[in-house]
Amino acid sequence: MFERFTRTARAVVVGAQREAEREGAGEISPVHLLPALLADPTDVAAAVLAEHGVTADTVAEDLRRTRRRAGLSDEDAAALERLGIDVENIVERVEQTHGEYALAGGGRPKRRRLFGVLDHRPFTSQAKQVLEQSLREAIDLGDRHIGTEHLMLGLLQQPGPASDLLAARGVDYPTARRDMTRRAAAG
Amino acid sequence: MTKATELAASASDHDPRVGLRAVAALRRLLEQLEAVQVRNARSQRWAWQEIAEELGVSRQAVHKKHGRR
Repeated sequence: MFERFTRTARAVVVGAQREAEREGAGEISPVHLLPALLADPTDVAAAVLAEHGVTADTVAEDLRRTRRRAGLSDEDAAALERLGIDVENIVERVEQTHGEYALAGGGRPKRRRLFGVLDHRPFTSQAKQVLEQSLREAIDLGDRHIGTEHLMLGLLQQPGPASDLLAARGVDYPTARRDMTRRAAAG
Repeated sequence: MTKATELAASASDHDPRVGLRAVAALRRLLEQLEAVQVRNARSQRWAWQEIAEELGVSRQAVHKKHGRR
């Protein structure tokens, strides 16, 4: 599948690896793909998202809030609120005792070292589904290559904090798909 | 709460999506809380057996999940 990726789409996958490493996460998940998708503002996916006010900065801020809250999105927190559970309060209490970002959790390291050199971080099953879905999106749109726009559409179809925070900023799958069609028509 | 927000709130209480999302979110929160507490206990030199007893699980289970960090 990777041989079909465009140069910029490959850069996103590499960027996601770097993002996971920076965060000390054992695996690459959709929340690492999203900031990587926005790293180059001139790129098509980043441009589509920017039209909705989603930039590298807003995503970094949203993800910081999510990470601190044990990876729960605003919508997750709202669902718990309906049960009378105040997540922010729990986070605050835990941080008082165990330090800032105590609930952020790097996750259990699952890095595999091959010959002590190759440092390989696996993708979570959700991240794999994003990549697989991006292939289906490319086929569906009649594109021969998998570009960042297909990665974006794949990401939007994967339930979780990444698509939640995009939805909270007004970008869901039908919206992005419509944006892409309009761009294609405009040539 | 106004009448409208009350109605909206009770409607979302009946929405399985909201209820299931809350369960999934609570599970993730629980996992992180457990990791924090186990790490704290280990840093205070608690044995895996003691931690397991407090959590109500087997020593093997807790060690398999949190050991070798």
